Amino acid sequence: MKKIKLLAVFAVMALVFAACTDDGDAADTTAANGEEPATTQAEGGDGAAGGALLAEVQERGTLNCGTRDAFPGFAVLDANGEHVGFDSDFCRAIAAAVLGDAEAVEHVDLETADRFTALQSGQIDVLVRNTTWTAGRDGVEGATFLQVNYYDGQGMMVNTGDFSSVTEMDGVVICSAGGTTTEGDAAAEAARLGLDWEIRSFPDTDLLQEAFQAGQCDGWTSDTSQLTGLRSVYPDGPEALTILPEVFSKQPLAPAVLDGDTAWAQAVNWAIIATIQAEEFGITSENVDDFLDTDDVNIRRFLGLDFEGDEGDTTTFDPGLGLPLDFAYQVVSQVGNYGEIFEEHLAPLGLERGLNALWTDGGLMYAMPYR
Amino acid sequence: MRVLSWAFQLLVFAVVAAIFFWLWGNFTRNTEASGIPTNFDFLSNPATFSIPGADFSPNEPVRNAYIVGVLNTLRVSVVGSILATILGTLIGIGRLSRNWVVSRLSAVYVELFRNIPLLVLLTFVFLGVVLQVMPSIEVSWNPLDWFVVSNRGIGVPWYDGVTGWSLSLVFTIGVVSWWMIARWRQSVFERTGRPSHAGLLGGSFFVLTLIVGWIVLGGAVSLPAVDGRQIVGGIRIDPSFFAILLALVIYTASHIAEIVRGSIQAVPKGQGEAAAALALTGFQRMWKVILPQAMRIAIPPLGNQYLNLIKNSSLGAGFSYFDITNVTQITVGNGSPAVPAFFLALVFYVVISLITSALVNVANRRFELVER
Repeated sequence: MKKIKLLAVFAVMALVFAACTDDGDAADTTAANGEEPATTQAEGGDGAAGGALLAEVQERGTLNCGTRDAFPGFAVLDANGEHVGFDSDFCRAIAAAVLGDAEAVEHVDLETADRFTALQSGQIDVLVRNTTWTAGRDGVEGATFLQVNYYDGQGMMVNTGDFSSVTEMDGVVICSAGGTTTEGDAAAEAARLGLDWEIRSFPDTDLLQEAFQAGQCDGWTSDTSQLTGLRSVYPDGPEALTILPEVFSKQPLAPAVLDGDTAWAQAVNWAIIATIQAEEFGITSENVDDFLDTDDVNIRRFLGLDFEGDEGDTTTFDPGLGLPLDFAYQVVSQVGNYGEIFEEHLAPLGLERGLNALWTDGGLMYAMPYR
Repeated sequence: MRVLSWAFQLLVFAVVAAIFFWLWGNFTRNTEASGIPTNFDFLSNPATFSIPGADFSPNEPVRNAYIVGVLNTLRVSVVGSILATILGTLIGIGRLSRNWVVSRLSAVYVELFRNIPLLVLLTFVFLGVVLQVMPSIEVSWNPLDWFVVSNRGIGVPWYDGVTGWSLSLVFTIGVVSWWMIARWRQSVFERTGRPSHAGLLGGSFFVLTLIVGWIVLGGAVSLPAVDGRQIVGGIRIDPSFFAILLALVIYTASHIAEIVRGSIQAVPKGQGEAAAALALTGFQRMWKVILPQAMRIAIPPLGNQYLNLIKNSSLGAGFSYFDITNVTQITVGNGSPAVPAFFLALVFYVVISLITSALVNVANRRFELVER
């Protein structure tokens, strides 16, 4: 009796196993039939990876946004545990555009070294984490960088009174965050100036700050915006630190999505552009409702309102991005325009608009035409 | 039944293989879809980062950074294993001491450090000891003017002027003469029964050879000094290396102490009593009779501790120590593909662990009690 039972168990297992191997061997054919999960279907679609992320995010109802939690001005946790800052607001703007709800964001805090792996593995939909756009990251990391939301440069922060110029810093120890572009740019700058810098890198900013405070390094190099933010919350007070006047490399910070899903990249891109476009139009979160009865066709088109078409009929403009018609309205009313976001989070740190002013004011912020 | 057993084993193997192929298929499909390379071409790209304390320029290829990382992992593992063994043995013997203070202190040491997670201990050592106890460079300690102690590193005197093959030659002469003296003393012992003192004599001659050879070759001592804000001269012990080494030694020694204590207690009591009956002193009893037998028992579990230490050394990556893990993380952050990069680190740890196991097995076989 026992033997028969055992045989039966084996028979069942063998059947299950046979089914399994069939699945394994036939993975390609089932994929072609569209029975596999979203990641493998539609290989001839918008992008090689499927081009389905926009629909997936909308179905899920939340946006997984890669960010960080201890970066003054860009992304910090407030007293209620909410993510607050410039980058966090761009996460919200994307959620407002895609989902119509700026709060439908899952902020995923990432270490510097993990950010691209999180993007590659699909843990996050978009990376908005002070990431410098470089060719290598575009290529090897499989990232697609989008509209730059902050044009930055690299600076050097020292204890007030130690140095007044980078060129004075010879035979010193410089600390930086590891796995960043600033680390390599600092080495290049030292070589260019003929200075002897020992560069120590740290895996996270908290540890770096401890080391800097204890005197392990003479200089702290990073993007100027980061240094300004970190200086504002330095335990000994901001006046204990000085950011030297030299700015020595280009650090364009841009959101990034994974390669291979053009539709999703475009949707995210236009959410960012919408904040700039709104500032160009002078639309703010305060006055956006006043524009609902504007006569300006460009603004009506932008806000998804109906307007008089070429043939005198009433029409609306859908650029075919897969975003709701009123996505720009949602972005501006729930989050604000680019200038508002900047004023709220970065201006209090003492950062000037500078390169990040609108092009009409001599900056680089320039919205692509929405038509 | 035999057929069934075979079939079942085949089934298990097939299931595992099927799962692996399915995962592998997903991996290749997804990386290909997002254009992420899965080859090792990145090893030839410039590294773009610097490594403190290493003769390494950011323009060198990633491959060289990996080599520096491997050497750093080996460095902390070898030095850590030696120091942890010495400290652990002392504490293990201390626990069995009849001196109440010594045995209690040893017990407190073991119970304290065995029960702290290594990461917490390492964080404490780095933030507390290295950053706060050790002074900043402006007010560094200079004991005897031979050392520089600061939180930017510890400067230690080091030989100077002799490098390359001539130094290796002196070293080889030293090792060979040690071995020959040991053989000679062993034969004297076997013929006459007089104490051989092989280690003492051979070791002294080895050190003597090194010193004489280095003076003959015109070597000098380089003393460390503070120049501006860096430590120059001598050899500099990197502060992060010091932190991870200290934490590894303290932690692993607490485990080794228990192994040593257990092994000593496993030596039959009669051995100690027989040694006492021969009028050996307490030290002789321990060193000549009990420890040699205890160490034979201790070798396999000690091997496990060395393996743990090697793998635990990867925690140093979180504290700016440029071991293989840190190099991998940083190069991935700078644009190397994550999966191949971490695959290399993984292979390295497997290989080095297998080599260590093999060495431990060789030692175990060598010292095993030969039963006749």
